[in-house]
Amino acid sequence: MILAKLAYKSLLNRRASVFLTLFTIAISVMLLLSIERVRVDAKSSFSNTISGTDLIVGARTGDIQLLLASVFRIGHTNNGVSWQSYEYITNQRGVKWSIPISLGDSHKGQAVLGTTLDYFEHYRFAKKQNLSFNQGHPFLNINEVVLGSSVANKLGYKLGDHIVISHGMGNTSFHHHDDNPFKVVGILNPTGTPVDKTLHIPLAAIDLIHARASTKNDEHDEHDEHDEHDEHDEHDDLIGHPKQITAFLMGFKSPLYTLQIRRNINQYKQEALLGIMPTVTLKELWQMLAIVEKTLQLFSAIVVLVSLLGMLTTLLANLSQRRRELAILRSVGARPWQLFTLISIESLLTTLLGCLVGCALFYLVMYLGAGYLQSHAGISVNIAMLSYYELTLIGVIMVAGFIIGLVPATRAYFYSLSDGMSIKT
Amino acid sequence: MISLKNVTFKWHKNDKKPTLRIAELAVEKGERIFLYGPSGSGKSTLLALLTGINTATSGDVYILNQCLNTQSNTKRDAFRADHIGTIFQNFNLLPYLTPIENVILGCQFSKVRQSQALKHATTLHKEAERLLNALGLIEQYHHKNVAQLSIGQQQRVAAARAFIGNPELIIADEPTSALDANNRESFITLLFEQALHLNSTLIFVSHDESLKPLFDRSIDLTHLQEQI
Repeated sequence: MILAKLAYKSLLNRRASVFLTLFTIAISVMLLLSIERVRVDAKSSFSNTISGTDLIVGARTGDIQLLLASVFRIGHTNNGVSWQSYEYITNQRGVKWSIPISLGDSHKGQAVLGTTLDYFEHYRFAKKQNLSFNQGHPFLNINEVVLGSSVANKLGYKLGDHIVISHGMGNTSFHHHDDNPFKVVGILNPTGTPVDKTLHIPLAAIDLIHARASTKNDEHDEHDEHDEHDEHDEHDDLIGHPKQITAFLMGFKSPLYTLQIRRNINQYKQEALLGIMPTVTLKELWQMLAIVEKTLQLFSAIVVLVSLLGMLTTLLANLSQRRRELAILRSVGARPWQLFTLISIESLLTTLLGCLVGCALFYLVMYLGAGYLQSHAGISVNIAMLSYYELTLIGVIMVAGFIIGLVPATRAYFYSLSDGMSIKT
Repeated sequence: MISLKNVTFKWHKNDKKPTLRIAELAVEKGERIFLYGPSGSGKSTLLALLTGINTATSGDVYILNQCLNTQSNTKRDAFRADHIGTIFQNFNLLPYLTPIENVILGCQFSKVRQSQALKHATTLHKEAERLLNALGLIEQYHHKNVAQLSIGQQQRVAAARAFIGNPELIIADEPTSALDANNRESFITLLFEQALHLNSTLIFVSHDESLKPLFDRSIDLTHLQEQI
């Protein structure tokens, strides 16, 4: 008890250098926790993006490129899949469901996805969760749109709003006086995946946009008439007559079909196609990113190590200044082991406080940075209690701090033996 | 109380001449001894033997009927903490504690002294206050920073720390060397008062022979060493 009190008073007496040590430890704990939290959350947001889909099929390209384009809306596929091939493949035995998707357009920087009603029924993310509606319902007409949650939030759209969707990936709309805008009929619940940043429209509407764009550019009357004619026909048909789609997702009745049909797709003669299993490709992609992950981990480990070494340096430097203090304690009856304990308590106290301050800083950083990470990196950071893993990390730092504290403590023990009570001023 | 017989002490085993040779030294309980000698006469060495910091190379050192040279380091540490109060030349107060806390420190590493202190007062804090008052440090200084006290005041704190818990033996190692003549005598008078009150034996070490008449008995260390 007296030792704890002495340790506390002595630390208070040297508060400037103690504060610096404490601060280095706090910073390193904060860094370590932040990096680990972002890493773990990035990994889970990443692997939660898509689930329940057995196969993604697109034009032949790299596995990862197809995954990035079809699921993450990053980059483009150079070619599409012809509608004939889509129909042929999805009519094979064992196919449970399929979702055609058509990408490449945007609305104010948000991706526009043309699809069918199957999307709302069969698309799964995270732990096989369905898409669910916060408000409204799926599109029923060709000029209706369903918004991902962050599209609605960011752009401030409500049910019943009319919005204009343009052709191309640009941020600006080329068509200012579009006579046929889309009506918002549904807003999805947040998923933490790229779905949130997507506007969903019927597949047929994609053709409509493209047709209109070419009309305006070509200025051919003939085309115009033809298109208007089409429009009337397709109004109740959400699929229309697409020539091409970007890719399609498939689910099978049994995993056996997955491999068989994938082989067929990859050897399909009519068109160069590629079928990927998203879970496998997600893993590959994550492994590519693993070097980044490892580097981050390495850095945070080094930061912790440096701060602990800094603490050791400070403790040892302080110790030679405190030789007299220790000798005084010895002269009033403290035993060498008590001085050993005193120094250990001090370093433990410093590490403990450092860790606590570090945790506080960590939550501050997470609180301030969560919005940025969500909007710029798509990582939904979880500002929850410390996980078991994070507590273990803190535990490791505490133990390391304690072990490091044993070095000066041992020196203090031997000082006190050799110095005895003779004190040099 | 204290009894030394044929004691020699060498710093190193191979030293030809011992640093200290004492044929006989005996001190009775309650005596106030003035131990003097020029520097280098072995005062510090003798004190180190009396307090059990070092053990005699040959001969026996008995304090309170306990033979110090056969005890283990740990036991000697405990013995010193329990039975000996020391006032150092430079007081050795901890700068980050208040005078009261410094005084209490004297009995915090010894259960014996703690229970002794609690016989005089209900709390250690009160006993420390009582001692500081008795030694002439008025209350307004009790909770100040030790570093803000004058030399004389620091010395009173150091003395109170030595006396708390009523140790049988008080050793004062040149505690007055920093004081002027007037303060020296008044301080020694205060020491005597406390020693008498607590029935402690006092060994006062100094090279200043002018203080000699104040004490019951004086021992010239140079002379003591030559007796062999």
